[in-house]
Formats: sequence, structure tokens, C-alpha cells
Amino acid sequence: MSTTYRAIDWNRQKRVYDGTLGGLLALGLGLFVGISVLVSPNITVETLLIRGSSVSALLLLHVILCIGPLARLNPRFLPLLYNRRHLGVTLFLLALLHGAFATVQFHALGDENPLVSVLTAYGRDYRVFADGRINLPHFPFEPFGVLALFLFFLMAATSHDFWLRNLGASFWKAMHLGVYLAYGSVLVHVALGVLQSERGAIFPGLLAVGFVVVAGLHLAAARKETRIDRGKPLGEADGYAETCRVEDVAEGRGKVVLVAGQRIALFRHQGRIHATSNVCRHQGGPVGEGRIVDGCITCPWHGWNYQPEDGCSPPPFTEVLETYDTRIQDGRVWVRTIANPPRQHCAGTAVTAT
Amino acid sequence: MKDDFYIGYQDQSPPSLARSTRRLVVALAMIVAGITALVAARQSPAEPGTFEFGVKRSFEGVLQENPLPMLRSVSPDGAVTNYLLVGAGKHGLPAFARGHDGQRVRFQGTVIQKGPGVLVELNDPESFLVLGPSTAAENRAADKSIGEVVLTGELVDTKCYFGVMRPATGKVHRACAVRCLSGGVPPGLLVRDDQGGAVVVLLSGPNARPLRFDVAWAARRVRAEGRLTWRGSFPCLEVVRLSLADSELP
Repeated sequence: MSTTYRAIDWNRQKRVYDGTLGGLLALGLGLFVGISVLVSPNITVETLLIRGSSVSALLLLHVILCIGPLARLNPRFLPLLYNRRHLGVTLFLLALLHGAFATVQFHALGDENPLVSVLTAYGRDYRVFADGRINLPHFPFEPFGVLALFLFFLMAATSHDFWLRNLGASFWKAMHLGVYLAYGSVLVHVALGVLQSERGAIFPGLLAVGFVVVAGLHLAAARKETRIDRGKPLGEADGYAETCRVEDVAEGRGKVVLVAGQRIALFRHQGRIHATSNVCRHQGGPVGEGRIVDGCITCPWHGWNYQPEDGCSPPPFTEVLETYDTRIQDGRVWVRTIANPPRQHCAGTAVTAT
Repeated sequence: MKDDFYIGYQDQSPPSLARSTRRLVVALAMIVAGITALVAARQSPAEPGTFEFGVKRSFEGVLQENPLPMLRSVSPDGAVTNYLLVGAGKHGLPAFARGHDGQRVRFQGTVIQKGPGVLVELNDPESFLVLGPSTAAENRAADKSIGEVVLTGELVDTKCYFGVMRPATGKVHRACAVRCLSGGVPPGLLVRDDQGGAVVVLLSGPNARPLRFDVAWAARRVRAEGRLTWRGSFPCLEVVRLSLADSELP
């Protein structure tokens, strides 16, 4: 959590995370260079850099896209999610390296501005044939790489919580969903570029497997999510909705329930049941899958804290979760369907009072 | 594991989570290594070629500006060597070397070589000297006419193909080929045979003039008709008709 734009606080886990990332990158790039030199001794250093950075960036993009759904499917992947933005910044730097070297290599020192040449070198092939078909084999692939690089830059540059706070969580989140547009753009870039030169089934096959893995994990995660939302509505009376049994909410734990079509997080803290919105103010994480740590509701994604009594983040932080009144009746938790005014103290319902 | 809860800003991860994360990282490393090795092993190998970047050698001979910029060098024993001339970057014969057709010149340049074909990059204007008119012996024709041919192949820029870039063909290199051809680098036709052999035929226009063509055809298959001549180690085609190959047409 950060209230200002300041340098990231490095702790041991972040150093381990970044060290591991650096190690994996070195492994991938080292293997690529070593094997390339063996199988293609005439390859130039520039080509090695262009290809090595692109392969690393493409692999990293797939990892980034898989971490989200994997963490939804299994909390064991949450440690990979916590510093995912470091992966995003690294991805941008790799893509920038690839783009910069390719631009210099293929477009610089000629009779045209290299940045103009990237988009116009064989611009006539943007045009469709007379019968309306697109000239796919010859269609320029470079603009799709430029678009992806621009999106990676936008996301990397705004990855700090300062931007999340100032742009607003919704806008920030929507902007960072641009990673899917960037992924699509990268796929087209590769399909119209290197796949037109490299023959054989290996490269399109790998790209297809990557796509299937990314799409499959997203579908599996979505299926799990919709299962929660498809829960049968229970009773509703006096503006309260019936949710679950009291013993379903363990001490210090959260549980996600459905109230009037909305996900609500229930927590049991010091023998009392509290209800808050399930959507973390940080990045929309599932608060109800978190825990009570040091007396605060703690989001499982990035550890953002909220006090169960009023939904407020502890000072100096100012984020607020909506809270809901609760009551316990016949061993079941009922939640009021209308949220309390922001910051209103709400003592929760004592479990022993049932 | 069941009771472990990960908080990234804490100094330590819970031990059981740390163990499972280590296993994930090992699995990830194996995936990264496997895919990277597969991609690296299956990429098309780059063709041979040499670009003596940063190395300058001295050359002397008769400059022929048209139809293809060449230096004809005659050794004391009478052996004739033709060097195709290009400029620095993505440019053809530089301005400082133009206007001296048929004259003896001396300069320093950088060698670009694939097989017997040698190109020289003229990148040192200070070293360029005009020594005077050429001699009759130097002008004696050493070209060998083959006859009329029709060839189909990939339109390439000779500077990259002979060694500056490896690889220097195909879609990925297309923009570079466009820039080079647009900048005046002599065009070549990369003709491959069924046995995997390949030769680049230098293309010129009729009547000893440079070839006029559409640079956007770079890296595409074209069909060229004309008279084939060997000039030293270079096959040269005086093109009378150039068009996109049938396979390139919609």
C-alpha cells in the first residue's frame, strides 16, 4: 500500500522474486544464445538479440497471463501474483529491447526516418485486393508490434500504486486489461512476421499451445467464479438475506457469499461476524478469500488491510470498503441487502448471541 | 499449507508456501528451458557470409558506375576481379564515388563476402582518390555472355544478402530490403534449385542503365527475363521484363 509516489520498499521476498525472475531470464536467454550459436553458427549478434529478446518476452507474457487465473484456481499461486507488476515492467523492457534493435537493424541508416519506415516500408500491402481480400502473407506485421509495445509501456509506466490511486481503480484496471489487446496484437505480429519466414509446424504449434493454455485457464477460472454467482438464493426478510451457517465462517477467516446478486465477504473476528464488500479497493481482489491479520481484514492479492468494524483501512491509508449489518438467526448468518453509510461503525454480530 | 496465508510485504513467506513456491519455480524453469531450447534448435539456420565491420582494406582498379557499380581490378598476372560497390548503411554507391565512370581509382573500404562474390562498402571518402584514365588492358572485356533466360526467385538487396545480415531474406527482413533497395543498393534475384542450392543474380536495366523497379517487391518472388552474363564471379541479368511471380498474384 502506498499513499505517495515514492521508491518501492524492497523486502526479502521482493528481492527473492526479482532474483528468481532474473535467473529465469538468464537461463532462457543463455540457452537461446548457446543453442542458436551451435545450430546456426553464422547468426549475427544483432539477430541473436532480436530473436532472444522476443522469445523471452513472449514466454514472459504467457506466464503473466497465466498467473491471474492460476491464482484464482489455487491459492498456491498467490506468491507469484503479488509482484506480477515486476514481470510486466520486465516484459516491457524486453519488448523495448526487441523493438529498438529491430528498428535499428531493419530501418535505420536508410533513406527514411526509421520510425516512419517501421509503419510505411511496404505500406502498399496494407491495401486490400480488388476482390476485398486482405493480402495476409504480405500484410505489414510491424504495426502490431508497435501497438503491443505501446500498450506494454502504458501498463509498465502506470504500474505503481500512485497511478492506481490517481487514475482510479476502475480506469486503472480497465487500462491494464489492455494486456489482452497487447497479447492479441503480439500473436498477429508473430503470425504475420516470423511465421511467414519460418516453415514447419513447431512455431505455429507452440503459439497455438500457448493460446490454448491461456484461454483454457481463463475459462476454468471463469467457470469457478460463475459457480459462486449461480448459488441458489436463500431466504430474504426485513431487508436481510440469508447466506450460510455460522460455522461456515471460521475465526479469523473469510467466506464469500451472495447477497442480492452481489458478492459479500463475511469474516469472523473475535467471535463476531462482520460483512463487507468482497471487492478490494486496490485491484478488485476477492477480499472474502483473505484472512484477519493483526485485527484487519487482509486481501489475499496484495495484503491490503481494512478494519472489520468500519471497513476503513488503518491510518494513514484512506481506502474504505462498504460494510453491511449482519444478524444471526437459527444458526445462520443473515446480511442486510443495503450497505451502511461509508465509515459507519458496525460492531458485527456476536456468534454467542445466537 | 491450509492455514498458510501469503502476504508479500512481510519478510518471510510461510514455510510450507515457500516450499510449494520453490517447486513451482523449478517447474517454470523446466518449461522455460524446454521451450527456449526447442525454439532455438528449430529456427532456420543463417546462411554464411562475412561483413568485416570496422576493418578497412585498400582497393584499386577501374570504377564502373553503370549498369551496376563495380570495381574491376586487374592483378599483375592479368587476373580480373570484379567487386560490387555499395555505400555505408542502406545506400548504394556514395556521392563521392560517382561521376568517375571508367577511371582508375583507389580507396579504402570494408569487405562483404559470400562465397566467391565480394562486395566493398565505400565508407571512407577521405581515402578515395582518382588516379586517372584506365588502360586498354583494364578495359578489355572479361565478361562471359550466357544468353537469354527467364528466372524466378526472391528479390533481395545484395548488401545484406552477401553478409551484412544473416539471415537476409524473407518477410522479417523485408522492410530492410525495401530500405536498402530504395537507398540504391544493387538488387539481386535469389534463385534456388531443388537441391537446396542458391545463387544471387545481380539485376540491371537494359542499355547499361540501373534497373528501374518497384522496391515494394523486395522479399517477394519475382520473374525476370533478360540476357545473362557472368562478370567475374557475379552472374548479372540485363532485365528486359520484371514482374511479380504468378505465386504472388491474388
